[in-house]
Amino acid sequence: MKKNIIKSFLLTGLILFNISCSENLMDDLNKNVNDPENMSTRLILTDLMTSTAFSVTGSDLAFYSSVYIEHNVGIYNQSYNAEIRSNEPTSSTTYNNSWNALYSNLRNLKIVIEKCSEGGEEEGNFHNLGIAQILTAYNLAILTDLMGDVPWSEALQPGIIFTPVIDSQEDIYSNIFTFLNEGIENLSKETTFPLLGTQDFIYGGNAASISKWIKFGNGLKARYTMRLSAKTPKYDDVITFASSSFTNKSEEAKFVYNGTTSISPFYKFFTDRNYFGASKSLNEKLISRNDPRDEVFFKPAPGQSAIEFAPNGLPSQVQNRYGISAITTNTAPTYLMSYHELEFLKAEAYARKGAASLTLARESLKKAIVAAFTKPNIGFTVADAEDYFNTSVAGRLTSPEAALQEIMVQKYLAFYEEEAIEAYNDYRRLTAMGNNFIQLSNPLNSNKFPHRFTYGSSDVTTNENVRSAYGDGSYVYTEKVWWAGGSR
Amino acid sequence: MKRKLTMFLTLFFLGIGIISAQTQVRGIVVDDAGEPVIGATIQVKGTAQGTVTDIDGNFTLPAPANGTLVISYVGYRTQEVAVTANPRVVLVQDTELLDEVVVTALGIRRERKALGYAVQDVSSESLQRTGSADLAKSLQGKVSGIDIKSTSGMPGASSQIVIRGARSFTGDNTPLYVIDGMPIASTAAYSTGSSVTGSDISNRALDINPNDIESINILKGQAAAALYGLRASNGVVIITTKSGKGVAKGKPVISVNQTTSFEQVSRTPDYQQTWAQGIDRNYSPNSSMAWGPKISDLPNNPTYGGNVANSRNGNDATKYKGMYFVPQREKAGLDPWVLPQVYNNWDEYYQTGITSTSGVNLSQATDKGNFSFGLGYTDQEGIALNTGMNRINAKAAAETQLSDHFTLGFSANYAITDIDKLSGANDGSLAGVLGAPSSYDLKGIPFHIPGDPYTQIYYRSLTFDNPYWVAKNNTFNEKTNRFFGNGYLQYATKLTEAMSLDVKYQLGLDNYTTHYQDIFGYGSKGAKGEINNYGITRSAYNSLVTAVLDWHINDDFRLNALVGNEINHITRKSYDQYGTEFNFGGWNHVNNANTVTASESQSRERTVGFFTNLELSWQNMLYLGVTGRNDIASTMPRDNRSFFYPSTSLSFIVSELSAIKEIDWITFAKLRTSYAEVGQAGTYLNNYYSKPAYGGGFWTSDPILYPVGGVNSYISYDVLYDPNLKPQNTKSYEFGATLQLFDNRLGFDYTFSKQNVKDQIFAVPLAGSTGASSLVMNGGSVHTDVHEFVLNATPVKTKDFSWDINLNLSKIINMVDELAPGVESIFLGGFVTPQVRAGIGNTYPVIYGTQYKKNEKGQILVDEDPSSPSYGMPMAGDPGVLGEVTPDFLLGGTNVFTYKNISLAATLEWKNGGSMYSGSNGLLDLYGLSQRTEDRESTFIFDGYKADGSKNDIARGGKTDLGAYQTLYSDVLSNIDEYYIYGNSFVKLRELSVKYFFPKSVLPKLDLSLNLFARNLLLWTELPNLDPESSQGNNNMAGGFERFSLPQASSYGVGLNVVF
Repeated sequence: MKKNIIKSFLLTGLILFNISCSENLMDDLNKNVNDPENMSTRLILTDLMTSTAFSVTGSDLAFYSSVYIEHNVGIYNQSYNAEIRSNEPTSSTTYNNSWNALYSNLRNLKIVIEKCSEGGEEEGNFHNLGIAQILTAYNLAILTDLMGDVPWSEALQPGIIFTPVIDSQEDIYSNIFTFLNEGIENLSKETTFPLLGTQDFIYGGNAASISKWIKFGNGLKARYTMRLSAKTPKYDDVITFASSSFTNKSEEAKFVYNGTTSISPFYKFFTDRNYFGASKSLNEKLISRNDPRDEVFFKPAPGQSAIEFAPNGLPSQVQNRYGISAITTNTAPTYLMSYHELEFLKAEAYARKGAASLTLARESLKKAIVAAFTKPNIGFTVADAEDYFNTSVAGRLTSPEAALQEIMVQKYLAFYEEEAIEAYNDYRRLTAMGNNFIQLSNPLNSNKFPHRFTYGSSDVTTNENVRSAYGDGSYVYTEKVWWAGGSR
Repeated sequence: MKRKLTMFLTLFFLGIGIISAQTQVRGIVVDDAGEPVIGATIQVKGTAQGTVTDIDGNFTLPAPANGTLVISYVGYRTQEVAVTANPRVVLVQDTELLDEVVVTALGIRRERKALGYAVQDVSSESLQRTGSADLAKSLQGKVSGIDIKSTSGMPGASSQIVIRGARSFTGDNTPLYVIDGMPIASTAAYSTGSSVTGSDISNRALDINPNDIESINILKGQAAAALYGLRASNGVVIITTKSGKGVAKGKPVISVNQTTSFEQVSRTPDYQQTWAQGIDRNYSPNSSMAWGPKISDLPNNPTYGGNVANSRNGNDATKYKGMYFVPQREKAGLDPWVLPQVYNNWDEYYQTGITSTSGVNLSQATDKGNFSFGLGYTDQEGIALNTGMNRINAKAAAETQLSDHFTLGFSANYAITDIDKLSGANDGSLAGVLGAPSSYDLKGIPFHIPGDPYTQIYYRSLTFDNPYWVAKNNTFNEKTNRFFGNGYLQYATKLTEAMSLDVKYQLGLDNYTTHYQDIFGYGSKGAKGEINNYGITRSAYNSLVTAVLDWHINDDFRLNALVGNEINHITRKSYDQYGTEFNFGGWNHVNNANTVTASESQSRERTVGFFTNLELSWQNMLYLGVTGRNDIASTMPRDNRSFFYPSTSLSFIVSELSAIKEIDWITFAKLRTSYAEVGQAGTYLNNYYSKPAYGGGFWTSDPILYPVGGVNSYISYDVLYDPNLKPQNTKSYEFGATLQLFDNRLGFDYTFSKQNVKDQIFAVPLAGSTGASSLVMNGGSVHTDVHEFVLNATPVKTKDFSWDINLNLSKIINMVDELAPGVESIFLGGFVTPQVRAGIGNTYPVIYGTQYKKNEKGQILVDEDPSSPSYGMPMAGDPGVLGEVTPDFLLGGTNVFTYKNISLAATLEWKNGGSMYSGSNGLLDLYGLSQRTEDRESTFIFDGYKADGSKNDIARGGKTDLGAYQTLYSDVLSNIDEYYIYGNSFVKLRELSVKYFFPKSVLPKLDLSLNLFARNLLLWTELPNLDPESSQGNNNMAGGFERFSLPQASSYGVGLNVVF
């Protein structure tokens, strides 16, 4: 009797155990029904385009670049601190969000590349593979252009390598070219996988989009070849690559915002923060060359009747006083690479090659200016642009040297404000090449020009390799990146 | 069978015999003070015959002439007297409090003296003295070893109890709440995250009506709580609600109570009253700053002054002499010309809050069981406009004896809670109340344009909304419906004379649904507003079976053995609807939003535990306890789900030693020790893809919101999970001693406990270069050393007067020993800087941010560059730890004075040490509003040092350097987070109450008491301007971070309690 009771107790216990907590049952209970555990690359790539445009190219990095390059003047809070070189330029928290966004993009791109490569779930999806490779090159270049030597070869292995080592910018640049070459090669292959269609926010994903991605890849090869000019000038290569790239504005790589569920970063920065004032030095540059863009670049602050320009480096920390950008709109696109940039690259390469190609340089410069003048938020007509070119620019293109200077100044003006990162890159490269074409007027630049952006605090606080390279952050004022003549 | 029949017959006839020899007993029962004891039970020994005393202590009962009466009453020694015609029974209070039974883990009732670990209980009397609607607040200062953080004085504001420091960096550190044997949810359904935006979210302990509570026992250590397994590591709050059990059998007892209190904002900042809105000593009518001219000089302003000819006065300097032009008044359609005046915008804004709590309870006990039914209603109107809380509580409990062996019972609670709140920090609803310049008439100038309620009129840019506009247009609401309760069946039998078995099955349910609404109305921040509707339904089922064997082995040894199983199953379903850009004002509804996104989430989890508890006692001197529990948790990874946790405890009653027994003045002495290991499970998921989110950083709303133009995207989620996740482990030991002297007139209790917590589960922050943000894994360790000291004393006790003291001292040292490899610190909340974080080698948590630039000696260096605007002023240095949040010690003390029918109770709390980031204080300086910015004309030398080590001698300010103060406060110090760090030690008079019991001679038919009280009267604090207990966050950063946080309230009230 007693034994039976014990037996039935044990049996009940066993049943209870099995129905209440077997591993299979527990697995089922813990199943994540809210999020998918696998994803096709077409659905991943979309946001990689968005994030590359918005988070990497369009926002924080561009905002700070625009302050350092005097496209804007930081007049409040973080932007003000950047303007007066207090804390922000040396702090590891300043660019941390961008740093993380860059590596997050690179990790997701790595996932796409693995899925589309041999042995992956989408083996043979060459177009998606190629797009991922080109975007990888693009993100990687922004990362190293701004931060110099960064973790790369050991990066992107969360949970496996916690403290990736730092690689040299030189090595990373060779990787960038490999990605671009492979990307172009893969995009040129036939694939049975469908086109991206509406998932392609940059080129629309139709049949014609593939050739545009290839052109974008070639354009980037031109850009990055030019970037290394202070180290290894290869102007013929620049021209070759550029010639396989965009032939008109419709092919340029830009991200268009719809103004509701996607909002242009500079516009959002204005509505949410209002930290920028109109740059005095930029205004002076425009006035000195009687540039009609002076009329469309700026407007008075809300509630003010006239434009007060903010003195670079010395503004008062006050909102709604200084003039603001007039080209900031909620749909202003982010340019990953514009057609005018491509023509400027060509123009520079031709000019640098000497007198023999000066005419070609002029032609490219004219195309570049026309393209820049007719940007939707600038709004001049082709005729306006040509008129400007003929009256204000053409006369300056007397020699290759003079042309070179004018090309770079025009590029600087055309890049206001959405292409501030490239303007900042150009400035540092030109300085390294001894070309002081762009005069910045922030008096603090005498010893506090930020030659680079700091590493992100997520690495500074967890990765000793980066922490020791970061030190106290003051290296940004003294150490240039490798392609600008520095050592790291 | 035959024997039974014989017995029955014998008894039957004996009974007849007894009845035939009965006398009518008319007696009275009084206490040692001579007061009648109402409701004492009188029973004829050996029979079921009995009665209870009436209101005057009298009783009448037929009893056999040679019988014995047993008189019992809760809290008094049971007495037996021989039957006489008119006995007068004097009941003696049971001073042997230590024989009292306490409820421990899983509802096990044990003698207090047998416990090898610390538990502390709080009586309902003590809890309800000041009628607080929030249980956590009414515990403040009354228990040692616990820290209770309340965030504000808003109705329904979150508050949390942390017992003996923190064990988890980012997870839950609050105790398990168990009500009538059923574990219930007490934490907030949503974390306030970094706590820099949005509104507070109440924690669910708020659903408990303090009036329903009979008693609270707090199991502080892991050994005490070990039987709860995975949920035991943070201690347990065991709540027993009122039932019919304690009521004298017979007639129903009805009690009614009503408490009304009035709340006022606890502190008003000291504002400067000389300087007007503006910057650079210029009046600037849209500036957020008060660095303008003297208020008295406003009429002389060239642009806005009436004493100067300008376009506004038609170039007539006589028309508005002595007045100045306020553009906001013009916008509002008022006469724009006013005389300069100083306004107290803070005091004008806050209103007197009202809290009304009503409760009625009906209880009855019969021979077969008991029941209790209660209703409670709390209606609160906050000190800020449009804030308040309504709460309805209903509860029922009943128990019935089915047979000699079976008992059936249930306890059911229903609560409806509806709270209107406000938001803090970057969404600070009351930012303008704190920050309005004294020259601006915030209340007097309408908050919107006439005829257009959605275009605000405000003194500054619409980074923040006008607080008066907020009250009409923004909504922060939460509504909760909750049911919790359980039913049980108990079987008790005697196996032998010395052995009894008790088997109980209990099935419980805790189910709540909360709907939240965060609405920034059309026109908020000058934009078109946004709405966020979100909510959760959480259901927890709890099945608990226990079998207890109690065996008196012999005169010396007694064994109590328990085995059991518990299954806890929780399901959650939550939703989120987010809409932006209303089409038009007045209809703040998601259907009026132009962009709407929605999401949902569902999850289930189950914990299955098998446990045992063995207690062996020897004589009345030694008590040994051993527990073991094996938990299987679904939220952990496969093959890593089963964990075993043991504990052991020993109690040694020193006073039972014959040598000590002889010492008169030692009433009771005990030594105790325990050891326990408990765990805390994490949540493991397979890595997944998710819709990217673009909030945070510079953005106040999502700049990119999928689906973008109908297209979605999913990327690998940046939080990854370690498949080797194991539960975090806490090993703790505890030593303690209790000493009761002079017949319990003086008592001490000391406990030292040490907790070593290893393998914390948290989202370990990863280097960004890994491409992911964090990995949920085991990493890090903390240890906690806790000293708890309790003193109870009754210095005076006479027939009419007594004075009781209860002191609770806690010193909690909570050190972070280790984080995951390479990780120096983890972010708990706040901004980029300052933030609240956990850092190695620091106590938990600390405030981190930009420090002053200092020399090696730690002295603040000043800028010595004469061309710099900050010449002679401090400079920003590297970021670092700025302060520790944890206090050095907490001391709570209650004094109760009783004179006849009046008792006066006062509870004080002293928090010594600890610091906080007070953003509001820093901003008062930055804006030029605080009293310390009143002097702007004399020179100053900043208290710092020069690079050569000499004391700073650079004088700034004065007639030739009029902008120096503004530069210092507005540009220089505002960039140094360390400047915003304040010590927040305080002494608060938590409670003060006077209670009057109407004497029986006046009201013979009922018990009536009247209670006057005050709560949260601040006596002293280190923190300037604000209450040190207003802060951001309902999570582990609470108490350390404040920026436009909502204020605390002081309250004054009256309560009435009737029992009949």
